[in-house]
Amino acid sequence: MKGTDFVKLIDTTRCTACRGCQVACKQWNEMPGLRTRNRGSYQNPPDLEWNTWTLVRFQEHENGDGVLQWLFRKDGCMHCTDAGCVKVCPSGALFYTEFGTVGIDRTKCIGCKECLFACPFEVPKYDRATDKVFKCDLCYTRLREGLLPACVKSCPTGALTFGAVDTMLKTAYARVEDLKQDGHPDANVYGDKFVGGTHVLYVLGEKPEIYDSLPQKPAVPLTVIAWKDFLKPLSLLAAGGVILGSFLHYIIHGPKSPDENGDRDAT
Amino acid sequence: MKKGMIKATDAFERIVHWSLAISCIVLMISGLGMMFHSLNFLAVPVGGLKNLKLIHNFTGLFFIASLFFAVLMWWREAGVFEFPEDAEWIKVAGGYLWHVDSVPEVGKYNPGQKMFFLAVAIFGAAMAVSGLMMWFPLSFGAGLVRFMYFLHALGFVVIFAFFFVHLYLGTIGSPGSLPAMTSGWVTRAWLMKQHPKWLKETEHKGRLVVYGKEPAPREGQGHHA
Ligand code: SF4
Repeated sequence: MKGTDFVKLIDTTRCTACRGCQVACKQWNEMPGLRTRNRGSYQNPPDLEWNTWTLVRFQEHENGDGVLQWLFRKDGCMHCTDAGCVKVCPSGALFYTEFGTVGIDRTKCIGCKECLFACPFEVPKYDRATDKVFKCDLCYTRLREGLLPACVKSCPTGALTFGAVDTMLKTAYARVEDLKQDGHPDANVYGDKFVGGTHVLYVLGEKPEIYDSLPQKPAVPLTVIAWKDFLKPLSLLAAGGVILGSFLHYIIHGPKSPDENGDRDAT
Repeated sequence: MKKGMIKATDAFERIVHWSLAISCIVLMISGLGMMFHSLNFLAVPVGGLKNLKLIHNFTGLFFIASLFFAVLMWWREAGVFEFPEDAEWIKVAGGYLWHVDSVPEVGKYNPGQKMFFLAVAIFGAAMAVSGLMMWFPLSFGAGLVRFMYFLHALGFVVIFAFFFVHLYLGTIGSPGSLPAMTSGWVTRAWLMKQHPKWLKETEHKGRLVVYGKEPAPREGQGHHA
């Protein structure tokens, strides 16, 4: 089943870091809040966790002119078109939905943790207690009912919007143009240029390399590609070749049988 | 049993062989069940993929133990190439592929068997190390773990292919071989064809155990472990 691809657009320049999305995500997905420590930052918890699927990152950044900026970036699964996690998942727990997003069926998850190492964004997180992996599924249950993802629904500033991929790309690029006119020469769209295009797009006010924990050239790891696209089919080819070769050997050359009179005087 | 049969392997050797073989087969089947979505159904009899994973992991431990004994037992006879006879054997592919008037006589294991042994030993060890790290991936660096997934897949490619070579040559491809790993007793004719040098040397040393004859001075010449 292939419908229209949908995209969540995160306009970081409109985000006020109210963290409404973070709370809405926990509420809808019934994830517990666990006690954390004050580390002197509003960024809490410090990173994505099995129970925290989206997180607003707070970053103090001094630009070239000595101006201090406070950058906010809502982090979470990027819903890749070419998703490393789906590629490695042995059970089919991670899957592409009809919206082009990446869903997760935790009843199928066997806790192998392979996706943790295949994701270019370090998104999936493992919970030891349940032996399962957790990540944002872009509110698959809500999308199927025609509702907006919980984070988008909760966003009061319009930093989060959701819609069909073409519309959102146009919106994103139009916004970047506006920002450039408006004194943000480095504004850019992040997400459409790698891993087949992500179903989460950013409008960034600064260059991608400025942002914490944001890979500049995210890609499915080479080892994963070698493993899944090369060695996996090769294993069948090689074994098949051996079986065919043995058969041909048997009918053409014949088995290596002992000589009829193979006593001690033979040879 | 017929008179004149010759003892080629001792019980310990055969136990190690079958421990390795059975664990290897279980690992391959359970591994395939996790590697290909189309083979996920292999997990149905054991109640799901999670159980298949557990079976795979614990069979892995059994495999590691078997591999340890196998290497200890066979590396001297099967792990070291002897020159020049092994090189000459390789030049004529042991007479397996085209007609050769007389195949160079090699030791107890021919270079083909040595290659098989080395493939199992080296890639088996690689499977052990990578498998253990894949079991507890959070204890290691991401780059290292990623490489281990790759290595595990590579080891599978090699072992899976070699498995069928071994299966063929241990059965219909070389009639008379199978008893070496079942009862341990083989025919003289088969030894003359497959391991003439070993036959002559062992006989010369008076260590050949022949069924129905006076027992040789020392039992079992399979391994020196
Ligand atoms: S960001 Fe990571 S978890 Fe999300 S779809 Fe891509 S590979 Fe999968």
